[in-house]
Amino acid sequence: MTNGPLIVQSDKTLLLEVDHDQADACRRAIAPFAELERAPEHVHTYRLTPLGLWNARAAGHDAEQVVDVLLEYSRYPVPHALLVDVAETMSRYGRLQLVQHPVHGLVLHALDAAVLAEVMRSKRTAGLLGARIDETDVVVHPSERGHLKQVLLKLGWPAEDLAGYVDGEAHAIDLAQDGWHLRPYQEHAVESFWHGGSGVVVLPCGAGKTLVGAGAMAKSSTTTLILVTNTVSARQWRDELVRRTSLTEDEIGEYSGARKEIRPVTIATYQVLTTKRKGVYTHLELLDARDWGLIVYDEVHLLPAPIFRMTADLQARRRLGLTATLVREDGREDEVFSLIGPKRFDAPWKDIEAQGYIAPADCIEVRLTLPDHERMLYATAEPEDKYRLAATAAGKNRVVERLVAQHEGDQVLVIGQYLDQLHELAEHIDADLITGETTVRERQRLFDAFRAGEIHKLVVSKVANFSIDLPEASVAIQVSGSFGSRQEEAQRLGRIMRPKSDGKTAHFYTVVARDTVDQEFAAHRQRFLAEQGYAYSIVDAEDLDVAQ
Amino acid sequence: MATFTGYLRACGDDDLVTLLRLRPDLASPSPSTLSSLAARATSRASLERALAAVDAGVLQVVEAVVALGAERPVTAASVRAAVAGDDAAGARLVDAALADAQARALVHPDLPEGPDAGARTARRRSTSRDDVPLHAAPGLAELLGPYPAGLAPVEHHRADAHADTHGPEDPAEVRALLQDAPAGARQVVDALLWGPPVGLAPSNATATAGAVQWLLRRGLLVHGDSRHVVLPRRVALALRDGRTHRAPALPPTVPTDAPHRSPALVTAESVAAGEHVVRLVARLAHLWERAPAPVLRSGGLGVRELRRVATTLDIDEAEAAFVVELAGAAGLVADDGEESPSFLPTLDLDDWTALDVPARWAVLARTWLATPRTPWLVGSRDERGAVRAALDPELHRTWAPRLRRSVLGVLADADGVALTAHQVLDVLRWRAPRAVPPEPAVTAVLVEAGRLGVLGAGALSPAGRALLASADDDRTAADAFAAALPPAVDEVLLQGDLTGIVPGRPSAALEALLDATSHVESRGGALTVRFTPTTVRAALDAGATADQVLADLAAHARGVVPQPLEYLVRDAARRHGRLRAGTASSYVRADDPTLLAGLVDDPRLADLGLVALAPTVLVAQASTRELVDVLRERGLAPVTEGPDGQVLHLEPVVRRVGRRGAAAARRRASAAVAPTGPTAFREPLPDARLAALVPELRRADAEQVTDRVARTRDLPHPGGDPTAPPAASLRAAPGPAVGPGDGDGPRTPGTPGARPGTTDVETGASYARRAAAVRARGAGRADSGAGEPGGGGDVTGAGRAGAGVRGALARTGGGAAGAAGVGAVGSVGSVGGEGTADPAAALVLLREAAAERSTVWVELVGPQGVPERRLLRPVHVEGGRLRAVDPAREAELTVAVHRIASVQRADDDPPGTRFGTPGDTTAADEAKETT
Repeated sequence: MTNGPLIVQSDKTLLLEVDHDQADACRRAIAPFAELERAPEHVHTYRLTPLGLWNARAAGHDAEQVVDVLLEYSRYPVPHALLVDVAETMSRYGRLQLVQHPVHGLVLHALDAAVLAEVMRSKRTAGLLGARIDETDVVVHPSERGHLKQVLLKLGWPAEDLAGYVDGEAHAIDLAQDGWHLRPYQEHAVESFWHGGSGVVVLPCGAGKTLVGAGAMAKSSTTTLILVTNTVSARQWRDELVRRTSLTEDEIGEYSGARKEIRPVTIATYQVLTTKRKGVYTHLELLDARDWGLIVYDEVHLLPAPIFRMTADLQARRRLGLTATLVREDGREDEVFSLIGPKRFDAPWKDIEAQGYIAPADCIEVRLTLPDHERMLYATAEPEDKYRLAATAAGKNRVVERLVAQHEGDQVLVIGQYLDQLHELAEHIDADLITGETTVRERQRLFDAFRAGEIHKLVVSKVANFSIDLPEASVAIQVSGSFGSRQEEAQRLGRIMRPKSDGKTAHFYTVVARDTVDQEFAAHRQRFLAEQGYAYSIVDAEDLDVAQ
Repeated sequence: MATFTGYLRACGDDDLVTLLRLRPDLASPSPSTLSSLAARATSRASLERALAAVDAGVLQVVEAVVALGAERPVTAASVRAAVAGDDAAGARLVDAALADAQARALVHPDLPEGPDAGARTARRRSTSRDDVPLHAAPGLAELLGPYPAGLAPVEHHRADAHADTHGPEDPAEVRALLQDAPAGARQVVDALLWGPPVGLAPSNATATAGAVQWLLRRGLLVHGDSRHVVLPRRVALALRDGRTHRAPALPPTVPTDAPHRSPALVTAESVAAGEHVVRLVARLAHLWERAPAPVLRSGGLGVRELRRVATTLDIDEAEAAFVVELAGAAGLVADDGEESPSFLPTLDLDDWTALDVPARWAVLARTWLATPRTPWLVGSRDERGAVRAALDPELHRTWAPRLRRSVLGVLADADGVALTAHQVLDVLRWRAPRAVPPEPAVTAVLVEAGRLGVLGAGALSPAGRALLASADDDRTAADAFAAALPPAVDEVLLQGDLTGIVPGRPSAALEALLDATSHVESRGGALTVRFTPTTVRAALDAGATADQVLADLAAHARGVVPQPLEYLVRDAARRHGRLRAGTASSYVRADDPTLLAGLVDDPRLADLGLVALAPTVLVAQASTRELVDVLRERGLAPVTEGPDGQVLHLEPVVRRVGRRGAAAARRRASAAVAPTGPTAFREPLPDARLAALVPELRRADAEQVTDRVARTRDLPHPGGDPTAPPAASLRAAPGPAVGPGDGDGPRTPGTPGARPGTTDVETGASYARRAAAVRARGAGRADSGAGEPGGGGDVTGAGRAGAGVRGALARTGGGAAGAAGVGAVGSVGSVGGEGTADPAAALVLLREAAAERSTVWVELVGPQGVPERRLLRPVHVEGGRLRAVDPAREAELTVAVHRIASVQRADDDPPGTRFGTPGDTTAADEAKETT
């Protein structure tokens, strides 16, 4: 029995004691194959999943290395069944390979004929596979490359895609590194991606994912299609690319509800791609409009299901996914794996925060005791109305007011779900409001003013959840959210994570009505915060008064 | 030619003790004489059992002796050559196997009989000599089937001798013939060479048919029946170079590809599994003490209940079945026997819970090792297609404990190596080729052992080894388990995400605290728990306060209790108890508070126990009637209301089944552990007892022999009508069985006084059968005979004899009187010498005769009950039937064994010289003396 920092549980969780001398070395060693599940103060929990182990295989690690790492750092004897399972799981990746055959084109090549026989017998592969060439090879219809990979993953035999990529139409792109440089982890992320061909880079919000995208584009130097969540985000990408690369405004097109430009670099929103007219996707031609050499997916964890299906047809092109978390609320992690690619790079928030690239944050939950009449209203409300009642409790206005007062001079963002409540709040604290109804022009104006420090307070609805860039927001107050969405929490936290010029700690407040479902949902979201390693504390709204 | 019985007589005491130890079924119930021992040892059941216990090496030599012995006398040297060839190492194995086979009396040397001990020893030495002929035990050949060692029977050869084609005799000739064989002929011969030697004759006009015809013409094959051909024995032996087996069976070695597990891993995994199973059993009991599981009408646990257990315990159904069965076998849960029965924890559970974890584990592990329950069958379907339920009484399999021991034994020998079921089976197949367990059962035993922590990572754990070694001492196993437990950790890391982690095995105090206040998220080397409002509330419900919980956590925490956790506990405490519940028998309510205010303080109403819940509501402990009566006495005018709104809160009732039920469960378990039925596996008696038994056997036997010699001298040979003496014998037979018969009063039939004594000792199957026979034959006479003159005296004597027998048996063969007593009552018709009317002894005589192809006098009882005496040559005895040839009538006949009244060797003294047995006489006399 060594005195290692790692405890391997038989349920495939790995517990890493962070105060241990070897904790850092161990973290680095297990990061390639274990998913960080939570990172509170003392013991971080990692989990071994098939996807994680296959990601590791895709990154060139083999089962022996994984087993060695576990044995080396484990404090107690590692459960034997777990080691067997690791080896067994990892050995399943790459037994099937997608390769280019000089005569037959795309073929599925098996290193193990029995596996090929097994998958060919499965009903799911029917129609995806063509003629059998020999014992170990079978023709794959090129159009079914993505679909086949999905199916094979579901069958438990993930294929290694070695069929390569089309080069795409060349288009010179360079990074304009004047006065700034890619951060080391960003460089590393670009390298890892390029080496792997296709895949996902996981970086926390505020860690500069756009630059990783730009780096990848420079490396590829081909025409590029960038898929983003919404128009605001599209504009930010465009601005960032113009600023950071040799691309000019003319070379970048926007393909959204408002504009339909197709240029060497085209930024399209998920929404426009998934728009249907009479049951047909009308904008699919975009995908074939040019011979794209690279496709970038921003916020992969939000990628809508139809896009997955479209992506299935784009398997011959390099794909880069960018995300803060691989956790999807809909559990489609495996589709990300099979259609976009394995995880190529991952850096935990805390590490990047420790390097000073993102701001440290202080998370506080403020609990508000509802007045008696509201409690009675809540107690007797229909279940479907309860959350709304609790989330929009009138008392929250006063709490927000007090918090805003406390952070006089800081850039404060108030985020909420319900428009009535937001209107009221905006009025109450005398701030501008951005909702889905606000025009893009107005939004840009307000964002610019906020960025410039002309206004200090902004109330935003969930439209601001994704991809808006508010560099100097240092305080976020959320008054209501989409139930217990952890991913929303991550996004909102991301709003205040950009490093502050004065190095100040960011504050993240959640105002919650006590003894209601609001509190339960908040608990779910906070669990995510705590798991990410953010210390959070709970204060009573009454105590805020005292602090005042 | 020496007989089997003769061989036993010639055996030394040590040999007999060894025999009785190696074949426990021979020693229990105690046999009365060496002849009855021989009878039992050559019975089909006993031989089956003996063969089931031998390893492949011994089986080979037994086969070789049987196969070769069919033709000519066998010696150790010929067996060695036949099994091992000229392989010196193999020859040593064969010698060892022969010695083993002889120790089990499966093979015996040809020894002249002699009474004195010195000569016995000398003879025993001589058995190691190569030139002594060896014989297989009578009856063995039938068990080994028609083709022992894959060789055709000798008869084929002889029958063939009359055919037109004379087969070649000389090996060289056979080979030479085959040299010129057409294509395919050699393949045909090779296919049949190592047995079975019978093949289906190919239809005409195929290539093989030509080859077969060619072989048939040259006598290299012979016709079996119309459709089969047989490879004659001489041809097979010629091509096998005289071998019966290709090579001596070598004991299997530990497979080189089997992984060796480090002791630390084995220990860690076994302890984790052991702790887990102890926890699961405790949780099962906890579940059932609150919500007992109904018993199915067939006696088991329903599928839905099992699923409930699996869900609650968070395990799969197979493991749930194992846990339920384990708890049941250990008597921790049982059927409560109520009218609508349920499974409930027993009182034993409380004793078990009071033990520490290692001791608890030891109880479970020992139970498992000894239980005949087969949990792995739960969920499978029986012959009728019904799903087998957990705790179903039908799931008893008497072989299960033996299987567990043998499987663990294999793992114990493969020190620290993890073996698959297949590998274990390979070893078992060598150890007992006649009793190979089915692979699923072996797999199941390995899985169970893994679940229990008897195995760790597939290898036998130290605690498992201790369990296996210490027969019935829980402490040793518990100590080994305790020694393997990692040191306890008394520290928990509390974190802001409301989790806590104990980086090791939590101490008992810490585990109790965490059990009370949190729920477990993962277990293993460490324990992770999560605190939720629900778990904290449960702690508060159990009587803790927020301060107490926080103080306890702080005492065990590394660092401080995180703020969110503290907030959680305080918040839970704040909300705890905001609703109050209580018990009242009746209430008074009024719209006017002033009306009620006066009632509470009124001393005359103190007995009512009035408490003001609200200004307008009072509750009372008195019943409504009493309340109303008292209020009316006071001049008030209350009216009663219906019972609506009355809240009753009942504490959960913890239930137990009584000692009686638990004892019954234990009885069931132990009854199954030590089965007593004739087919059950028996543990050998202790050597001391066996050693005490042997002199008894020998003495009883010697007395028979002496007596026979004496009678032979005294009595004239009968002649003339061969049926007369058997009639006497027939009459004599029942006499001693039921009465205190001496030589003079063989017709003293069963008397009431004698019967109890008889019944008392008639435990074994053969005894029971005999008693039944006696009753059947002597019934009529018994009724009339009871009133015969002198019967009274006999009655008394019989009573005494019976008493003497009982006393002697109580000492279990502890003295001469005991053995004599057994003889008196037990060896009913057992006769001195080689003739017998004792059915068991008769059978052995018949078997011996069949083996030797000698003739015997057999007294048959015809359908009309008329005895008839015939000189027969028994062919074989099987399935309760004797097949024999009557040389005088040149006919073969098959008779049911129960029609045989007596058997006598043809070369022996003619029948009619014996009536009661000397043993009986002596016993009766001794019994009289002792009383």
